[in-house]
Amino acid sequence: MKGSMRLQTEVLIIGGGATGVGIARDLSLRGIPSLLIEREDFLSGASGRNHGLFHSGGRYVVSDPEAARECIAENRILRKIVPHCIEETDGLFVSLPEDSLDFRDRFIQACEEADIPAYLLSRDHVLSLEPELNPDLLSAVNVPDGAIDPFELVLANAKDAENRGAKFLLHSEVTSILVEGDRVKNILAKNTLHGEEYLIEASYLINAAGAWADRLLKLAGLRMAMALSKGSMLITNQRLANRVINRCRPPSDGDIIVPNHTVSILGTTSVRLEDLEHFEVTPQEVSLLIEETSKMLPAIEETRLIRAYAGIRPLFQSEGKGDDRAISRGFVLIDHEKRDGIRNLITITGGKLVTYRLMAEKTSDLLCRKMGTDLPCSTHLKPIPAMDAPSNLKDRLKASGEAEILCDCELVRTDEVEKILKEGGVKDLQDILHRTRLAKGTCQGGFCIYRLLGILNEMGLAEGDSNKILRGFLEERWKGIRPVLWGSSIKEEELIESIYKGIFNL
Amino acid sequence: MATVNSKRMDKKTWPKSNADVCIRCATCMAVCPVSRVTPLFPGPKQAGPGAERFRKSGDSSVDEWIDLCIGCHLCDMACSSGVNISELNLMAKAKYLDEKGRPLRDWFLTHSFLFAGLASFFSAITNFLLKNQAVKWIADSLLRIERRRELPAYQSPTFRQWFRKRPSSPPFEKGGDACLPLGGQGFEPYSKDRKKVAYFYGCYTNTNEVDVGKATVQVLEANGLEVILPPQECCGLPMLGNGNFKGARKMGLKNVPSLLKAVRSGLDILFSSTSCGHMIRHDYSHLLAIPGTEEVAHHLFDLFEFLRNLRERGNLNIHFKELPLKIAYFPPCHLRSLGIGLPALEILRLIPGLEIENIEADCCGMGGTFGFKKEKYEISQEIGKDLKEAIDRLNPEIVLTDCEGCRMQIRHLTGLKVLHPIQILRDALSDTK
Ligand SMILES: Cc1cc2nc3c(=O)[nH]c(=O)nc-3n(C[C@H](O)[C@H](O)[C@H](O)COP(=O)(O)OP(=O)(O)OC[C@H]3O[C@@H](n4cnc5c(N)ncnc54)[C@H](O)[C@@H]3O)c2cc1C
Ligand code: SF4
Ligand code: SF4
Repeated sequence: MKGSMRLQTEVLIIGGGATGVGIARDLSLRGIPSLLIEREDFLSGASGRNHGLFHSGGRYVVSDPEAARECIAENRILRKIVPHCIEETDGLFVSLPEDSLDFRDRFIQACEEADIPAYLLSRDHVLSLEPELNPDLLSAVNVPDGAIDPFELVLANAKDAENRGAKFLLHSEVTSILVEGDRVKNILAKNTLHGEEYLIEASYLINAAGAWADRLLKLAGLRMAMALSKGSMLITNQRLANRVINRCRPPSDGDIIVPNHTVSILGTTSVRLEDLEHFEVTPQEVSLLIEETSKMLPAIEETRLIRAYAGIRPLFQSEGKGDDRAISRGFVLIDHEKRDGIRNLITITGGKLVTYRLMAEKTSDLLCRKMGTDLPCSTHLKPIPAMDAPSNLKDRLKASGEAEILCDCELVRTDEVEKILKEGGVKDLQDILHRTRLAKGTCQGGFCIYRLLGILNEMGLAEGDSNKILRGFLEERWKGIRPVLWGSSIKEEELIESIYKGIFNL
Repeated sequence: MATVNSKRMDKKTWPKSNADVCIRCATCMAVCPVSRVTPLFPGPKQAGPGAERFRKSGDSSVDEWIDLCIGCHLCDMACSSGVNISELNLMAKAKYLDEKGRPLRDWFLTHSFLFAGLASFFSAITNFLLKNQAVKWIADSLLRIERRRELPAYQSPTFRQWFRKRPSSPPFEKGGDACLPLGGQGFEPYSKDRKKVAYFYGCYTNTNEVDVGKATVQVLEANGLEVILPPQECCGLPMLGNGNFKGARKMGLKNVPSLLKAVRSGLDILFSSTSCGHMIRHDYSHLLAIPGTEEVAHHLFDLFEFLRNLRERGNLNIHFKELPLKIAYFPPCHLRSLGIGLPALEILRLIPGLEIENIEADCCGMGGTFGFKKEKYEISQEIGKDLKEAIDRLNPEIVLTDCEGCRMQIRHLTGLKVLHPIQILRDALSDTK
């Protein structure tokens, strides 16, 4: 193709979520060169829009013991290789008076069989650990759940992979896949910011596009059966409990509360949908989540919510129909040579954040078999270095006394942001938000984003019109805030709106 | 009588954190005297509702700067969303100091009431020692009490001793209500059935500024009132200000039953120290959950608030003599936080010949025991600078203010004569002095 830039690579990975980035790192450790292409930024898919629960496997242990086993095994490995991404809080499966104690006993039994350390706590003991819990609860089972920071996880993986030779092409969307005979020959892609086109030649193609996996396959004239399910979550202004709080009942809507840095995240729902690009959190979902989660933590009824967001899960109809939650949450690895006779194409999708490493391992193993090598996996042994900004609450609060603060809700320091900007590779506002906790606090960027624009301007990074950047940010922000706008949030919004309208003419 | 000693002081009785209602507007940042003078303190928005999101119950405190909040409440008054900022700070401070341990110095500064009686008795020796450079050196280097601060002198007899020993106040001994003791004429005596009031004088008045207590009694008597002193202890504010909730609560648990008894026998309670008053009216119920406080608070009045009420009913003795003095009045933070306006200023403006101006400055910087601490002295001085400049501009003969901490600080800053407003009011009422 004329005018397009030619790129060559041994392996092309599509998708910059946890799975794709995990594969890039796995391959880099095995010494196999790769290029990863992502149409927006890292974490633009489900990896940046999930619940952040570091599963022990408890959630699936009754319905899908196999998935639960995978979880607990990975749970143990990740504690060792990415301790900086995990808050080892433990989780409670709480039984309320309306919950069956039969289920609880089955749950404990199943945990035992799946090798998930679980022990029963009395009501009084539970309440002394988490005083905000509903005092009517009967008991709770403690399991090794935790909270995982997907941003830190994906970015630290990417950085380590890059140091080991992996390459990344961000803000570039795969637009066609050219198949010739039994092979994918070329891939066409287009930069989504300035329209540049690429022609990529790769010996192997790995489709790690998550919920978009089927769309990608369509470009190659193939299909896979998959359904889409939207899950919505709400963020509270303050952290309400230190542990993960689960409802001890068969998985349902609004039965998990996950702590995350300064906040708690309430979730989730499960709504079938067709459109992958346009979806919002509905008022019904907001009320459902508040109603259900407040049964466990009554304080939620009065607490301030700062944002609502949703992500899309891909689901596969391998077994039973009906309830989406009965469909396996395990991952799918497809060798298209066996399935469709295309020798150099692999699809990996589904799974969980917690199993990202295992998914990368299995994919890379399959690739090695195709390549005729048997280079072993070492991701379960080699720790991933942490990014350098302090990540836990205590350290942040402490460091805040020592430098100028840019985002004062989340205590993000100006020098932290400047460093990221200087490192380059950051193309738009959203990219900065993926790399820091900027704008993730009470004001949701209302007061710090314009300070950030000042810095961008000073550093000569605000290409063209900063009002345009600002408008884009505000539209996204508004989408997240609108569903939870009442009380203090409305007051704050009016103030922020007047700032933007009055000062920036937006 | 309510029994008030069973309730445990634990976190559950602390007020609900309303950090959630903070809208991040930063209005409070404009009024904080501490963050104005030092970059070490991040200011109310950050130290209070902001940091609250970062404090996890299991974590140890890392916010050392929280100890720099002077507790002036100016931020609370500025916040339009009703965030209890200074309370959030105080609770964080308590946690920080509980973990870190309190220096012996803080114990001395907050328990002076324990040895105040002895110190007064031996006041000549004590005062010699307090002024002695060697003692100051010891205080400074061992206890880290700032050497440049004058340590308050002790007086003998104490106010309480004076009150007990003085000859019974003139017209009341025989229960008469012809009450024009200081030569005034023609004003209505305070109503017959309500002619007694109780006085909470506070420890500083008792041992260090006895004349404030005397003046209070004299003015009240000049208004036809009989003054009763209910049994009382230190209000506990110095402890509370140093994050010692337990100690402060102990004092409150001693004071409230006694005050409650006075209230239930039909008395109003007056305080001349706005800090003690703020403590009892606000912190006893809100922060310390001391039972019975609400009832006491309904009958608790600032001295001048009470006098202003008398005046509104036409019952105030306003037979003032002319006092040709140039005076500046400083409203203490705790007075402003009581939300009762500036009653002392209103009453003093009635005195003929008195030229009195309000000092426009935010906080004196003393913060109770804060200004005595070596590591905080500079901050305290820096905050006080504005106040000193404002006073210099007015160039008064005397400065008046209702709080002992402010009086100490203003004396220290300006070298001027600084009194409680009641002392001037007394002078205006007395024929001979
Ligand atoms: C609501 C919800 C809650 C969840 N909660 C949890 C949880 O608590 N714990 C847990 O462990 N897991 C959780 N998960 C699962 C977890 O988020 C996902 O399994 C994981 O993030 C999947 O990562 P991925 O890389 O496979 O997909 P994604 O992160 O979706 O990555 C796919 C990427 O492909 C890119 N892409 C798509 N099309 C193209 C194209 N044409 N060209 C280039 N790039 C393209 C997309 O932009 C996207 O970035 C949750 C998921 C959802 C939806
Ligand atoms: S109480 Fe006073 S010193 Fe403390 S934060 Fe508020 S304004 Fe600042
Ligand atoms: S505490 Fe009150 S004044 Fe301060 S930023 Fe929050 S809402 Fe504004």
